[in-house]
Amino acid sequence: MVDERTFPKALASLDGIFAHLESFYRSELIDARTSLSLSLVVEEIFTNLVRYNTVSRNPIVLRIEREGDQVRLELVDHDVDRFDPSTLPEVNVDAPMAERKPGGLGLHLVRAIVDHISFEYENRVMRIAVVKNLERGHV
Amino acid sequence: MFEMTRGDDGTIRLRGRLDAAQVELHTTEFERIASSCVLDFAELEYISSAGLGLLFATHRRLTDAGGGLTIVNLRPYIRELFGIAGFDRIFAID
Repeated sequence: MVDERTFPKALASLDGIFAHLESFYRSELIDARTSLSLSLVVEEIFTNLVRYNTVSRNPIVLRIEREGDQVRLELVDHDVDRFDPSTLPEVNVDAPMAERKPGGLGLHLVRAIVDHISFEYENRVMRIAVVKNLERGHV
Repeated sequence: MFEMTRGDDGTIRLRGRLDAAQVELHTTEFERIASSCVLDFAELEYISSAGLGLLFATHRRLTDAGGGLTIVNLRPYIRELFGIAGFDRIFAID
């Protein structure tokens, strides 16, 4: 069953989002390590929507469901301009400190953690969906 | 919830969750770190890219001044995030 909640488009929503996710982890018996990873993924995507989709202040929809050994998360942002984070350049994590540039690290972490990520944009609605396999043995 | 406290030995202990909202609240405290110091992560439960970015900015500022941050007692999960971010090659980690 899909759990759907909406959260105000503001960083102050993070505490409520984490509390909601913790409830899901408990009900689905998700282990602590995977829980940290999923919370990180949601925070990174949510904060990107807050910071870059500034045209509207509509609340953001968070959907989460478990299907067997997978958790699927979807964040939906309404009435926004097209912005596809997947087109952003990869952050160079091997660069020395002097050459590191801000930005891109959150999406880099998300890509490293999840097993699948998709971006859709239609009728001014952005949907970012990720899937994480629960049996995966690392971050 | 996140808090940082400086011990008598100068070590700064981080406690709780350093997410994007907490970074907004605590950036000034990091900006007040004026010289090399040790950050104890033993009670740091969670960190996101916002927190990593704040650590990076602090470390780079101190490094430019001839110092830097040393991080101790990373939990395995956070150590793994440091590896993914390439921070294990930037920070001194004990």
